[in-house]
Amino acid sequence: MNRLYWFHPGEYELGENEKFYSDMEAKGWRLVKRGTYLSRFQRVEPSRARYRVEIYTGPFLEQPTMPEEQVAVFEDCGWEYAADHGWLHIFRAPEGSGAPEFYADPAQQAETLKKVRRGMWGSVVLTFLLIGAIAAFFTWQGTIGKSWAQLFKRFLQFPLTMIFYALWPICGIYQMLWDTWKISRTYRRLRKGIPLDHEPRKHRLLRNPILGQTFAILSLVCLLVTGIQVLVSRSGDMPPQPDGPYIMLSDIGYEGEQVKKLYGSDTGVTHSRSLLADYWETLEVVNIPAQNDRQVWMRQYVYRLRFPGMADRLAWALMEDSVFARDRESFYALDVPGLDAAWATKGLELVAMKGNLAVYVEFLSSGTANGAEREFDPLPICEALADRWRN
Amino acid sequence: MPDQGPMTEAMYYILLALLKPGHGYGMMQRIKELSGGRLEMGPGTLYGVLSRMNREGLITLTGEEGRRKNYAITGAGRTALLTEYNRLKRLVADGEMLEVER
Repeated sequence: MNRLYWFHPGEYELGENEKFYSDMEAKGWRLVKRGTYLSRFQRVEPSRARYRVEIYTGPFLEQPTMPEEQVAVFEDCGWEYAADHGWLHIFRAPEGSGAPEFYADPAQQAETLKKVRRGMWGSVVLTFLLIGAIAAFFTWQGTIGKSWAQLFKRFLQFPLTMIFYALWPICGIYQMLWDTWKISRTYRRLRKGIPLDHEPRKHRLLRNPILGQTFAILSLVCLLVTGIQVLVSRSGDMPPQPDGPYIMLSDIGYEGEQVKKLYGSDTGVTHSRSLLADYWETLEVVNIPAQNDRQVWMRQYVYRLRFPGMADRLAWALMEDSVFARDRESFYALDVPGLDAAWATKGLELVAMKGNLAVYVEFLSSGTANGAEREFDPLPICEALADRWRN
Repeated sequence: MPDQGPMTEAMYYILLALLKPGHGYGMMQRIKELSGGRLEMGPGTLYGVLSRMNREGLITLTGEEGRRKNYAITGAGRTALLTEYNRLKRLVADGEMLEVER
């Protein structure tokens, strides 16, 4: 094995990088190339060498390729150009070569950090402005509640996947703040005349690898769990009798022939489970020949929560994210024996809960039964649910 | 340059070295010589100061040998150097009493 790829310290940790590459050379691994997260090393005889980093940002919007002349000056002094990534340029000199340090005066080195530091603060301000603008937009649109409701529902169904997605921006922002703090601190110290610490004792070499590996493992776990969830979820036609805590149209008096498709989507039941909830999604459509081929359809999202304490929040989310009602203000409360709480709209939706069970129901009938359109009556549905959830 | 502030040591010695045109590495050796081995300028400092003085017109590019660039001092650079030299001389003169005290 003549090649090795390994995580390196972040590009804002100047002294840590210098020490890291020197230590690697001492172990017989010489830096060949630096990428975004990994550096490539080549097998060599273990030897002592000094590594130094130089920051060259270049003109605005141009590639930060170090001018040949600058490289030439460094090389003339006994420094070998080892690798670069972005504005970070890494030089190597064998121990005892007598190559002079880059800067006798730390304030000179501070100058090279100025632009990077300004850029970092710019990104911090921009990021928070952006977050603020997005939040303001949703608030102004009045959809912030709906967005939270959707997130919460997704969270119940795919908790690990959602946590993973939430980790991305949090890690990103954390990293950005950390880098900004780090580079500002280095800048201030250099300005004060304190030389860069080329051998930081309490280096944070482990921070990056651990962060990276934790992330890799976490994403793998999330992927696996999501995969398992998809594998164990079952979809099928509506059974003759409910096989979960949902109801069927026959329970509320609509007998007829089952229809397999409604506007292109299949009818039936899907059952999936997550770490937080069991979840049933049903769509049942019945054709009633005795009533001029009238079609009645009902959709249910049923959650059996593993933590009953989440039921109130879920009921809120179900109302907030209802399809036809604007938001939960359109719901009025119902008092149904056998249910902890129930709410319905004047239209065709209702939300009910009991213990660790909560459901959202959409009910719609086309055509007329006896010539007159029937009002949506949520009570029979609530009673059927209370009956189904009795045990 | 009437309102010229004090120069950094690096600037002063680089301008001194460039009274004879030269390239980066040669300059560093000349500076070491000029300062009697006291001042060993790093390549980072040297390159940073060179590019800044070039922008400010104190030195100018005279030619290239391969990757190396040759610089020479300009008229403005010479004036600035002289101004600084006179300033330093005054500083030393003002401190002459120290010699008596010693």
